[in-house]
Amino acid sequence: MAGIRIDNLVVGYGAEPVISDLSLDIADGSLFTLLGPSGCGKTTLLRTIAGFIPVRAGKLFFGDRDVTDLPAYRRDIGMVFQDYALFPDKSVYDNVAYGLRARNVPEATIKTTVGEYLERVGLSAFAQRMPAALSGGQRQRVALARALAIKPTVLLMDEPLSNLDAKLRVQVRETIADLQRQVGITTVLVTHDQEEALALSDRIGLLRLGKLEQVGGPEDLYARPVSAYVADFVGAANTLNVELSAPTTAGALAHVALEGANLQAFAPAALPAGKAVLIARGETLKLGPAANDANSIPCTVRRRQYLGGRTSFRVATASGREILVEAHGAVPGLAAGDAAALRFDPAQTLVVAS
Amino acid sequence: MTRHFKDVWFVLSAATLALFALFLLYPLLNVLSASLSAGTGGQSGWATLVNDPRYSSAVTNTLLLGAIVTVTSTLIGVPLAFVAARFSFHGKALIALLPMTTLIVPEVIAAQTWLMILGNNGFVTRAFADWGIRLPSFYGWFGLITVMTFVYYTYVYIGTLAAIKGFDSQLEEASQSLGVPPGRTLLKVMVPVVAPSILASALLVFTLVVGNFAVATILGQRVYLLSVLTYQSFVSEVGTNPVMQSTLASVSIGIVACALFAQRWIVSRGRYEIVQGRGAKPQPLAGLATLPIALGAALIMIVSLLPLVTIVAGAFTRARGPVMRWGEWTTANLERVFLSAPDPIVNTLIFAGIATVLSLLISTVVGFLVVKKRNALTPSIDYLSALPLALSGTVLGIGLMISFNGGFLPLAGTGAIIVVAYLIRRLPFGIRNASSTLYNIPNSIEDASISLGVPPLRTFFKVVFPLMLPSIAAAAVLVWTTTVAELSASVVVYSAGQETMPIQIFRLIDSNLMAQASAYGLVLVGVILIPILIATTVFKIDLFAAK
Ligand SMILES: Nc1ncnc2c1ncn2[C@@H]1O[C@H](COP(=O)(O)OP(=O)(O)OP(=O)(O)O)[C@@H](O)[C@H]1O
Ligand SMILES: [Mg+2]
Repeated sequence: MAGIRIDNLVVGYGAEPVISDLSLDIADGSLFTLLGPSGCGKTTLLRTIAGFIPVRAGKLFFGDRDVTDLPAYRRDIGMVFQDYALFPDKSVYDNVAYGLRARNVPEATIKTTVGEYLERVGLSAFAQRMPAALSGGQRQRVALARALAIKPTVLLMDEPLSNLDAKLRVQVRETIADLQRQVGITTVLVTHDQEEALALSDRIGLLRLGKLEQVGGPEDLYARPVSAYVADFVGAANTLNVELSAPTTAGALAHVALEGANLQAFAPAALPAGKAVLIARGETLKLGPAANDANSIPCTVRRRQYLGGRTSFRVATASGREILVEAHGAVPGLAAGDAAALRFDPAQTLVVAS
Repeated sequence: MTRHFKDVWFVLSAATLALFALFLLYPLLNVLSASLSAGTGGQSGWATLVNDPRYSSAVTNTLLLGAIVTVTSTLIGVPLAFVAARFSFHGKALIALLPMTTLIVPEVIAAQTWLMILGNNGFVTRAFADWGIRLPSFYGWFGLITVMTFVYYTYVYIGTLAAIKGFDSQLEEASQSLGVPPGRTLLKVMVPVVAPSILASALLVFTLVVGNFAVATILGQRVYLLSVLTYQSFVSEVGTNPVMQSTLASVSIGIVACALFAQRWIVSRGRYEIVQGRGAKPQPLAGLATLPIALGAALIMIVSLLPLVTIVAGAFTRARGPVMRWGEWTTANLERVFLSAPDPIVNTLIFAGIATVLSLLISTVVGFLVVKKRNALTPSIDYLSALPLALSGTVLGIGLMISFNGGFLPLAGTGAIIVVAYLIRRLPFGIRNASSTLYNIPNSIEDASISLGVPPLRTFFKVVFPLMLPSIAAAAVLVWTTTVAELSASVVVYSAGQETMPIQIFRLIDSNLMAQASAYGLVLVGVILIPILIATTVFKIDLFAAK
């Protein structure tokens, strides 16, 4: 078992590279998620790690081993595919045994190993079934057992849950998380589902147009996005164009002008004066009766929705900009049409470059 | 770009391309270039073609015959397909066997049996003569059109049937729900969707008629046709005419190529997104239409099966020279075929056997390369592998003979040239059938196997090949059945002692020895029918899955 190191990787199909100069370290035994919108290069990066796509430049290491020029079948990877990719003419047992047979493992050992992994994914009773006679969730669990049975160096999964319906998705997600922790295998998971990424990952890399926009733990990406793009992709956030009156240093509280009010917000990185973007998650905003609170701006409630555990407000600023606010439980008072004050929490409101 | 992957597939692609270049491109170029050199009397082949009425009429006759048979085949094939797709009635199961008749009855046997029925000595002709009625001569246009129509209408039938069955009948319901009555709905909704398929199969028939050798030669007589003149200029006793044979061959290549281009264009333009699998359920036939429809279908069935009955009867009928003694049964014909002259049977089995095995190997590899492993070479392979469709057997045979008669690869005179002719001629057929399941195999399966540590070539044999097997088995049967029946190329390239069954039958028909021809014909039908029966009944292989 080993971590993955990617150095200045360039990958592409045509003239324009899809992945340009990407470097990344994935810690041994961790679960790393590649997150990003459709077409940003997640699959390309994963298949390059697997060895199915040749690299144009850069290096790729599994631990200390340079695998850049190693063909896929010698990289010792476990792979799980979106469409399961089970061999349709082989039973569940033979599917899981396939990689072991390729390694000339004695049949007796194969029997115990296959049994063990089918047990782990909860499919011991299905060993003799053909793939066609399994449900989607069961198929994906067979695929997982098949990938893990060869005890690979790294486990690679390309949207393993996207063909499953919502309920199964959570179930198989748990199976993946449990197994990954038990086995302790370095894992790269591709998804465009941010909730999946937040729930499963040790670390997440958000990919945008073939470049890593931000790499960090789930809380880092959620609470400390480096850009409006990240904030918007990982959970919903209000992003507002603001003016920064003076340059700020990294980690300082900055003063920004919004709707004529002077607000304080946290600047994770150094910023020049001028245009900037304010990022505020709905649940960090406080809505109160109209008053001249510190760090707040006046607004009008446009819509109020009670959603059980929380109440969601849509408010409009004086200049007509709309902001979403989420409050815990039911909030008495404040109906549509009321004037109110919107308060920003300086510690949880971020200002980043536009 | 693939800097670190030594590519097995690239090597295989290069080998395939080299094979195609040698046995397909090189002969074709030889044919085309020979037509440009000056021939007898200093006239170029093209000048002779224009000036000699025999040759120019051959061109117009061929085009005319192609057009007529295309129309007649469509007139039979389309209504029959519609009836088969939309109605159920007693004996309908028999119609399902119709596509088989094209496979089971080789063209040369079709021509022969029709002669035995309606030829100068045919039993129907004689029966009418006994009643004092003289039927028109079956030789010439009458025979050509009749026989070719019944040989080729099944192509239109198969193409149309597949299109109608694939047509989403919900569209019809949608149209009717919008207030359009059923008849007009058919015209406005189904016909536009199905028309490209019909047109494509009709054009296929056209190319087959232009390239047809067996029926054209046996029944053409005083109607000059391209394929017949090409063949005659090759074997002519007054010295072969290489310039003329190449010129005529080039004309036929040109005509067929045009038709094939038109066909591809229609197919590519007419490819609508069709939601498959909700074809209409066949309705029981009822009411006034019942009788004519059932009778029509039955008549087509009977006429289609007539050659089969005739060949069996002919094989067991006593004959004195050319005179068939209908009603006097004997096993002498078959005894002769098996005991004193079995060479054609043995030759057929050996040559076709080797060719089929090679063809399956190449088809499997090419199919896999073209569908799954695209690289810089595969587009050329794809294109070249379809090229034999544009070459009639006669043209291919002549190309091989000019290319490998002496020189660096002297194949002429050996059995190898027959095998090569078989192989090349049936290659498009083999590839299409062998690769038909490949489109349904997701690429991720191969990736999965490779990720589990199995190298690419072994992955192919362990994962992809087993899934291809059903279509390879179907391809094996289809390539075998069409190869043992091959006449037009092998009759050009064979030498004495290498006669195959179709060649022998062709020669016996020429000598008017119908009983002997029937005996070989019966054996040939058996050699075709037995694998088909085993494949469809024992192994449950769907032979027409690729259509
Ligand atoms: N085989 C290919 N040939 C050429 N271009 C390709 C190929 N595969 C992908 N691309 C292009 O590379 C870019 C990245 O594709 P990739 O499949 O890696 O995206 P992705 O992030 O996995 O998207 P999705 O979430 O939709 O799966 C896209 O612009 C795509 O069009
Ligand atoms: Mg993808």
